[in-house]
Amino acid sequence: MKLSTLAMAIGAVVLTSGLAYAQENTFNIWWFEDAASAQGITWTKALEEFKASNPDVTVNFEQKTFAQLQASGSMILNSDQAPDVLEYNKGNATAGLVASQGLLQSLDDAYTGQGWDKILNEGQLTLSRYDDLGVYGSGSIWGISTYGEYVSAFYNIDMFEKAGLKVPTTLEELTAAFEAFKAAGITPLALGGADTSGQHVLASLAYTKADDTWVQNYQGLKAPLDTAPYLFAAQTMIDWVAKGYVSKDSTGIKDPDAALQFTSGQAPIYISGTWNLGNFSSSIKDFKWGQFLVPTPKYSVGSTGNLWVVPKASKNAELAQQWISLLLSPKYQTEQANNGGVSIAADPATVTNPVGQNAAAVFKEIADKQGLGFYPDWPVPGFYDVLIQKVAGLLQGTLTPDQFAGELKQTYDDAQANQ
Amino acid sequence: MADTTLTSVAAVPHAVHDYRRHGTGRWFVLALLSFLLLLVLFPFFLALSNSVKSSVDYAMNGPLSLPTALDFSALVKFWNLADFSRKLLNSAIISLAVAVVGVTISLLNAYAIGIGKVRGSRVILVVLLLGIMVPQESIIYPLYYMAKATGLYDTQLAVIIIFAVIQSAFGTYLLSSVLSSFPREIIEAAEMDGANRWQILWQVVVPVLRPSLMVVGTFFFIWTWNEFLIPLVMLVSNNNQTVSVAMGLTRGQNMSDPTLQAAASLLGMAPTLIFFLIFQRTLTRGVVVGAVK
Repeated sequence: MKLSTLAMAIGAVVLTSGLAYAQENTFNIWWFEDAASAQGITWTKALEEFKASNPDVTVNFEQKTFAQLQASGSMILNSDQAPDVLEYNKGNATAGLVASQGLLQSLDDAYTGQGWDKILNEGQLTLSRYDDLGVYGSGSIWGISTYGEYVSAFYNIDMFEKAGLKVPTTLEELTAAFEAFKAAGITPLALGGADTSGQHVLASLAYTKADDTWVQNYQGLKAPLDTAPYLFAAQTMIDWVAKGYVSKDSTGIKDPDAALQFTSGQAPIYISGTWNLGNFSSSIKDFKWGQFLVPTPKYSVGSTGNLWVVPKASKNAELAQQWISLLLSPKYQTEQANNGGVSIAADPATVTNPVGQNAAAVFKEIADKQGLGFYPDWPVPGFYDVLIQKVAGLLQGTLTPDQFAGELKQTYDDAQANQ
Repeated sequence: MADTTLTSVAAVPHAVHDYRRHGTGRWFVLALLSFLLLLVLFPFFLALSNSVKSSVDYAMNGPLSLPTALDFSALVKFWNLADFSRKLLNSAIISLAVAVVGVTISLLNAYAIGIGKVRGSRVILVVLLLGIMVPQESIIYPLYYMAKATGLYDTQLAVIIIFAVIQSAFGTYLLSSVLSSFPREIIEAAEMDGANRWQILWQVVVPVLRPSLMVVGTFFFIWTWNEFLIPLVMLVSNNNQTVSVAMGLTRGQNMSDPTLQAAASLLGMAPTLIFFLIFQRTLTRGVVVGAVK
């Protein structure tokens, strides 16, 4: 009796709170970048300007989580709850999937209409285009990225200076630097062998032996896997372990712990993506640090960032395009670089933050030579976990480089044959 | 009734063991229990010590060291970032509603099955239990389409209905096994006095069953509080989300912020911990409810 009145009272509260919104002329915008990241800071500032220039519109921003959009992104986009514009994870399994399901609005007209074609080049659109099957690289434009990301070696400048070392520009110089640190009793490379950075090191090394044909075939799932680059990469990695450039227990280490070895000043080098820039900028206080690219002839592990997409259910597509234009404007591209982000279209001369200046310049360099090699797990669904597992096996010594390359080839060729 | 069984159960060990004669064994057990206690407390310690550490301190000294100075910025940051007071309210509303509705459904089911002696009651129980064994991932799409069709997608009511039903399956099982051993004489006496079924339920069965109902309700509350997948999928708007969903804020696509994560874990588990401490006695009784049968 008492219980049932309580239940009804609670039910009433729930119903009213659920019906709280339903306003005219609102603009709903979501993103899931961390509020403290370069993107988060920049977008928050841009949103203030956006609100000010659209005083008659109620702008509702929600900070989403990557986990939520990963788990239920297509369900949300397929409902009335979809926002007017949102950040969405790039790639076939995510943006490609919802594009092929018809849940997004094409941005083909806006691309020329809004003048984005004068800011972006075709190479930066590779991940914006998805075909009818949701495969990137061709088809209509479904999303626009306003930043980039790439894998590079973070290095401790103080430790390099103390050891009298220069920034390596070839693989031999990198190995020589490792040797010099090793001789001084320092384990040079922090490696998350059980995590993403392990496969990024592997791919960076593979790209030292990769040409245009190999990368295009590999990412496009166009031919059975030519294992030569992976064989070289695997051999190099176990050499590094054998020579003590990498600590023996790296196999079980996750990225946050490997990054910790770098930020705490134990290891002078950590190879990972530019998403670390924000964390390193704010948490490294007692030494100078910088970035250099793993020396490769052309390709680096990297890509354009996540996409801004406009859901089919968006009632304010024009405002959504206006938002994307704002983020691509020189003002916010520069702002983003000044916050330590990797801007796509910033003029390095106008950027004052050395971290962002360097990142924008390096990304421009890679993009201009069409050297974005993307990530090694992209071509095959579920390849991410396979790579994590096999790299761990390689570092533990349960797989020889030949077995390692053979097992990757098997998974890859199965997917290639059955696509 | 339940209290008398409680004391008799509790009295048994004293009669069987004479502690003074097993001195070394006693110390061994104490050492083992202390060790287990440390294992249990260790994650709490990690969450506590890292949540009051600055990120610079963490970056330099790692997760295991004690904080060099108390820094509550991670806790404050997470509280504001997640709009945590709102999330607490949401979780409390949802969990409480599920506890109340779930217990009511369980009670009515169990009354029919345990006291009413419905034909095929065993089969009904098995079917209900199958309901909780099905992984949530496999029912998430049907639930999503049903919620959309009824206009309940992105409302807390959807989550309340789903969990009240799922959890009442377990509640029905537990309560009907308690009720099947309910003394017939009491019910017969009530019938003799002219009570109808409704009156028997509310005026005879419920008062006797109250401790068990409290236990089941407490379990429902804690389970619902800790649920992740269904709230994640069903509650789209931030204003409707629960504490466990908000904890996802600390993990990005490529990055995670360890001190923020520790702060989120600490804030996330604190309410259930407090709730547990308050209802500790009810829960211990719950262990006995299972043992009575």
